[in-house]
Amino acid sequence: MTAKRLPSGGRIDRNKPIMFSWDGKAYEGYEGDTLASALMANHQYVLGRSFKYHRPRGIMSAGVEESGAILTVGKNDRRDPNVKATQQTLHAGLVATGQNAWPNVRNDLNAVNGLFGRFLSAGFYYKTFMGLPPFEWGKGTGLWMQYEKIIRKAAGMGTASREPDPDKYDHAHSFCDVLVVGAGPAGMAAALNAAEAGLDVLLVEQDCELGGDLLNHADAESEAQRLAATTALKIAGVRIMTRTSAFGLYDYGVAGLVEYVTDHLMHSDASTPRQRFWTVRAQQTILATGAMERHLAFGNNDRPGVMTANAGRAYLNRYGVLPGQYIVVATNNDSAYKVAAEMAEAGAQVTLLEARSSVSEDLKASVNHSNITVRMGTVPMRAMGGRRIKKLDTATVNGSEFIASDTITCDSLLVSTGWSPVVNLISHRSVRPFWDAEQACFLAPDISEPVYMAGAAAGTWNTDACEDSGRFAAAKAISALGKSADAVSTQAPARQPEVGGWENPILPLYEIKVAGKKLKCFVDPQHDVTTDDIRLAHQEGFVSVEHLKRYTTLGMATDGGKMGNIIGLALMAEALGREIPEVGTTTFRPPYTPVAIGALRGRNVDHHFRPLRQTPMHDWNLKHGATMTDAGLWHRPWYFARVGETITEAYIREATSVRETVGLCDVTSLGKIAIQGPDATELLNRIYSNAFAKLPIGKARYGIMLRDDGFVMDDGTTWRLAEDEYFMTTTTANAARVMVFMEELLQVRWPELKVHLTSVSEQWAGCAIAGPNSRDVLGACLEDASVVSNENYPFMGVIDSTLKGGIPVRIARISFSGERAFEAYVPSDYAPALMDLLWGAAEPLGGCLYGLEALGALRIEKGHVTGTELDGRTTIDDVGLGKMASPNKSFIGSSLRQRPEMIKEGREQLVGIFPKDRSLQFNAGAILCDENVVSGHGEGRITAVTHSPAIGHWIGLGFIAGGHEAWAGKTVIAADPVRKGNIEVEIVSPHMVDPSGERMHG
Amino acid sequence: MVNRETALSAHYNVGHFGLSGPTGVTLTEVKDLQLKQIAAWPDTIAAVGAKAAAAVGCSNAPGPCQSSTGNNGVLIRIEPLKWWILGDAELPELTSAEGATLDASHSRTCVRVEGPNAKDLLNRFLPVDLRDEAFADGAVASTAFHHVGITLIRQGDAYEMFLPRGFALSLWELLVESAEQFGVEVV
Repeated sequence: MTAKRLPSGGRIDRNKPIMFSWDGKAYEGYEGDTLASALMANHQYVLGRSFKYHRPRGIMSAGVEESGAILTVGKNDRRDPNVKATQQTLHAGLVATGQNAWPNVRNDLNAVNGLFGRFLSAGFYYKTFMGLPPFEWGKGTGLWMQYEKIIRKAAGMGTASREPDPDKYDHAHSFCDVLVVGAGPAGMAAALNAAEAGLDVLLVEQDCELGGDLLNHADAESEAQRLAATTALKIAGVRIMTRTSAFGLYDYGVAGLVEYVTDHLMHSDASTPRQRFWTVRAQQTILATGAMERHLAFGNNDRPGVMTANAGRAYLNRYGVLPGQYIVVATNNDSAYKVAAEMAEAGAQVTLLEARSSVSEDLKASVNHSNITVRMGTVPMRAMGGRRIKKLDTATVNGSEFIASDTITCDSLLVSTGWSPVVNLISHRSVRPFWDAEQACFLAPDISEPVYMAGAAAGTWNTDACEDSGRFAAAKAISALGKSADAVSTQAPARQPEVGGWENPILPLYEIKVAGKKLKCFVDPQHDVTTDDIRLAHQEGFVSVEHLKRYTTLGMATDGGKMGNIIGLALMAEALGREIPEVGTTTFRPPYTPVAIGALRGRNVDHHFRPLRQTPMHDWNLKHGATMTDAGLWHRPWYFARVGETITEAYIREATSVRETVGLCDVTSLGKIAIQGPDATELLNRIYSNAFAKLPIGKARYGIMLRDDGFVMDDGTTWRLAEDEYFMTTTTANAARVMVFMEELLQVRWPELKVHLTSVSEQWAGCAIAGPNSRDVLGACLEDASVVSNENYPFMGVIDSTLKGGIPVRIARISFSGERAFEAYVPSDYAPALMDLLWGAAEPLGGCLYGLEALGALRIEKGHVTGTELDGRTTIDDVGLGKMASPNKSFIGSSLRQRPEMIKEGREQLVGIFPKDRSLQFNAGAILCDENVVSGHGEGRITAVTHSPAIGHWIGLGFIAGGHEAWAGKTVIAADPVRKGNIEVEIVSPHMVDPSGERMHG
Repeated sequence: MVNRETALSAHYNVGHFGLSGPTGVTLTEVKDLQLKQIAAWPDTIAAVGAKAAAAVGCSNAPGPCQSSTGNNGVLIRIEPLKWWILGDAELPELTSAEGATLDASHSRTCVRVEGPNAKDLLNRFLPVDLRDEAFADGAVASTAFHHVGITLIRQGDAYEMFLPRGFALSLWELLVESAEQFGVEVV
């Protein structure tokens, strides 16, 4: 009493055997098999264990709705859990194992859970372990946190590999006139007509071959039709993608696809990605996604050997596996008769249980076969047998009730209780499907977007009508795109074919309930949701299907409710005493089929997780010992450690060298904007808070710009190159923000200003030369050193000159470090040459290369602000630069900076901070408190700290209410409760080194 | 004058990579890039366009999303009021009342993509409709490559991408890695 591989027939190649492994044993299948069909042919029935009860589970379907044969494929770093065996193409060397079971799925000790099933109902774990009496009466999740670890182990799915994914994944974009999803009769007909009308058509099919349900037919006519259609599609130029799942439909005709590129191969080229994530932008979309056969809730309806009728047909006709010798086919509609006839023809003894009391003579005649017994008005009541169905208790239909009847010996049960059109994708467009009572299914309404349903997805059951339905949808797309259908070889019907197509009406059937019989009937087998769970949810007051779904977890497993949703809705409707349309359906959301995280991330992983930005002297810096750090997307030198140096030793040495001799620092990452046009001066005068109208040509000026709301946005220097041309620098962090803001001002608020902005951040590479010897170093690199002499070149001067070797250079005498300093910019491709020249001059003078850490130390000593101080909460007065703001002009933020809160007395002011005990160190982020009130938000905060080589101990910058005058002579506590604890500090002027600025003017 | 060291110079490996067999994609860095910007005001766009076209040696200044090729270079419309001039063409003299010019030769890294799978490779990253009727010879697009804004032009059956220099190496690595699935020749 077993399944059997037939000697002929099917789409498998018996000359190409394939060896694979299941739970440690080797088996043989054929090319063309799925893992499910190969396991069935090898008499492997228990392929999984259920989520909670660990009940044995086997193959329930032949497609994406599979809820039983869920297993783990691959091993080590290529282990994929929760693979549907029905979706996995068999390939040589495939390794599959059972999951959620110990020691294995055939003998799972956790199956003991099934004995306690009555306690493990919906919400059991949460009810029991959260706020567990008497320990946590009515509160707390503390115990749950402990229990959860154990529960999660016993209840669940497979486990993912913890190793990094060795495979590559790809992203791709595509554009088409018409996207057709599904290549069954309707999809193929639609694609062909659209292509023949001259449209660019993309046809997407999740299966490995075109044909849809035609692949499950045994007759030569269907195959000829399929081959002819496939050939015609290729001739018409349709772009065909197989093994590709359309998982979501989004705004403006965007569809998400996953292409399974190599999952069906044993070996693939290392450069070929495993999966490819497609974003398709289609002008018109036709959804020919077919329909899925529905199950029935009866006792032990999850026993291995119970599957949908059409799945049985697929195994027989497509894979050449007869599912059993003694087969019961249970149905309430016409579609299963063909299945019964084919099973009988293949040699099985078939009992056809027909729930309806009568059907047409024609339909009866179709199962007039010596191997078939038909029993009218009969339904399956309870499956018997341990690891596989052995017997079936039946019941007879008596009006709306069922009465227990006799028992049939069988080894397979094929169930059909109707078909659910796949309306998932159109539902992603916020479309509510409506209930068609006559066909007992949800259908999608017409919508205003150019998305059309076709074929079985539109509720059309017959192959010819499906093709017509596809052509009708194509005609809509063709006319919407203004094309003529004259060239189309097969004309579309004038109307959408009628819904349905069965000779005898379906008898709605969802659950078999028999008085006096306790039956365990699964609605959502993957999540072990039973009919009793649904009724319990109703008893506990759940009315909305959306709540029901979340409480019972119905439809929330990896099949997304494909298997059991309709039964669940019907039961809820019954419990509420309403009809299905009143109860409605839950919302389908993407993805229709699971999408691997790897496919989502594509190549954006490791160092390509974000785009990486490097300065033109990046390699030069590395070659000279730089350790790099991230500054936004930029990589910048952090410090240049000599052999044996720690970062602290390195930056202290670097900062000391800058103050004593000279240092070089890559400042390319500063934002640089070319500002050109007759109104350039006017623009600058409006956006900077300080005066810019009279900046002479050849001079630079430090400027602060505010946001509209009066807070500081950014600071930097702007250099006047000509009457109507400026060169603005911004901070690294705000480069894009400043550019965008100015562009917005010009385009939206002041379109009358004739100014062009161009980001030249990438055009110019910059190096700061800072320290007492900076002029010597720079001069040594110039063709004419005299241009930078103190007489020719005052502080804030700007010149264009030429470096040795003929490299053009733009220099400004500006200082961030507080030393005599210059910034020299060259066109980026000359950056290594610039550095070679400068270093050649600086190194013999005992100069150094310095990075961000030393840069930070130098600016903290000087009290110069950066992004940590200009954090969007500080005003120009807070940072001590209020005198810069011009009282004589309007500028961006000039009004709103006068708001009472922003000018009130006692706001936090920029200050310097010394530890009282000079040997101590403290942290940025510490809260400054009055020594008597070390609590709450304190009086201020520390934004930056460094060891100061110039001062000889740790110092900091920060803000404190009232500024340093208010705290002179007082002790302040730097509270840092989670790190260093409390440290006594003194508040000093932020200008801690050379407050008069003599060093940089010298 | 010292040699120009581009963003890719130190990392540019010539040869065939990835899938063996015929070459699906050929990648080339266009070296010694000469790229100048010419900008007009709304009321001078025709006059400045004519000067730009004359400098490049083409009959008309291209409209939005278009480029024109002349004897002295290529003129690319990159913004409503801006063109790029590619090549050796001399920048025309403009008064500030007419417009503004700017040398941006070092700001971009130019990568040429050609071969039977050129479009496929570009669409692995760029959300641009590259079908012939949508993106014909001479077409120009501002688009995004791994979050980075880039400019794309089509010249015959080849495409040129102008990558911001600082991002160029990172994008180049992604491009070559992805191109391996087609079989790539870096020349």
